[in-house]
Amino acid sequence: MSDRTPVNVITGFLGSGKTTLLQRMLGAPQLARTAVLINEFGEVGLDHLLVQRVEESLVLLQSGCICCSMRGDLSGALRDLLGRREREDIPPFDRVVVETTGLADPGSILNTLLHEPVVRHHYRLGNVITTVDAVNARLHLSANPEGIKQIACADRLLVTKTDLAPPELSREVQHVLAKLNPAAEILDAQEDSFDIERLLAATGSERQRRSIESDGTGQSVAFRPHMDSVSSFSLVLDEPLDWTAFGIWLSLLLNRHGNDVLRVKGILRVQGSEAPVFINAVQHIVHPPMHLPAWPTDDRRSRIVFITRGMDHVLMRRSLEAFCRTPVGELVVA
Amino acid sequence: MCGLCAVLMSEEGWSDASVTAVDQGGRTRRHERLHRVALANRVLRHYRVKLSDWNGVSYVVNGQTGQSVIVSSIAAVWPAVERLRGQVIDPLDERLIEALEAADA
Repeated sequence: MSDRTPVNVITGFLGSGKTTLLQRMLGAPQLARTAVLINEFGEVGLDHLLVQRVEESLVLLQSGCICCSMRGDLSGALRDLLGRREREDIPPFDRVVVETTGLADPGSILNTLLHEPVVRHHYRLGNVITTVDAVNARLHLSANPEGIKQIACADRLLVTKTDLAPPELSREVQHVLAKLNPAAEILDAQEDSFDIERLLAATGSERQRRSIESDGTGQSVAFRPHMDSVSSFSLVLDEPLDWTAFGIWLSLLLNRHGNDVLRVKGILRVQGSEAPVFINAVQHIVHPPMHLPAWPTDDRRSRIVFITRGMDHVLMRRSLEAFCRTPVGELVVA
Repeated sequence: MCGLCAVLMSEEGWSDASVTAVDQGGRTRRHERLHRVALANRVLRHYRVKLSDWNGVSYVVNGQTGQSVIVSSIAAVWPAVERLRGQVIDPLDERLIEALEAADA
């Protein structure tokens, strides 16, 4: 599995700063040995970075990065890159970054990565990065309630334009994002410490999200109408889990409620294994479980984050306990 | 194509993945599979359906009236049972949860 090339998926509303992020990345030296798939070259403006045009849809940039226009065909573009790498038509790459269209459901990209026959043997998911515009987040969510999914499936939430938003609005946006998706690391694109490598680093060994200072206002009223039924919680289990029982429970849960279980992400301590198991699901799409090389902290308890829509958290906890025959220690509401 | 490949190829293959290491006291694959079938039957007995393993490659869902369906993964069992029985299986159904809790008490 470690031979497969990791793929980072960048998603976000139109105007959320996705294009700016791509432009920043394409010029960065960290993007050498990276292939970047964007929809159309014209959207990003590469001329000043160009070293060589290999063909109409494939160019090499000064940073050492390979840039291709997908024109909507992700699996075709990924297969084409494989062939070219093998034939040494292009410099070798050990990472791919994919841009989604503004309204895309990232689920379909995840589906391609996990299930398309050729793609799944040569590529694996690196992480999902969702850009969120601090100034317009409220507006974007009101116009596209389905955009909640882009936030729910993120491993990194990159808040953009914080230099253009009043500080209290930026804080509010970050607070709301942290409550909505406690499984994602929240980064600020304007901060000096913003680091492209950290943005792209593989998921699975993230620390707990940094704590958000309480500003005393509680959940933002402005965001509430669009997110009223969407909420997150974590379950913590003190005892090692029977993986087989958990798989049965999760597959049953997603079969019946997959549309409303926007995300499941967790690190599990399972019976019969010292190594932690990483589980990651976006609605009905479940990534193959994988062993992590080490526990991220000294806390060896299973911790699972759920982002759900209109579901009873307490009942979910009771259900997990009954199916897996293990007490669930804590239910932590985000 | 071997049984293991057939499992890995399907979209629902994750539900049949093994994560335990045999050398750390984990089960053999066969033993794990039987454990999976037993755990599934713990749920399915409440729907009057029985699951069995078929040659370590597939699962057979048997209904009371003699109907049977072959599926390739545990995740595929549930929709098959729902079609067979004409009823949904909901892990958040309180009656099911209570029945599981009572069986363990």
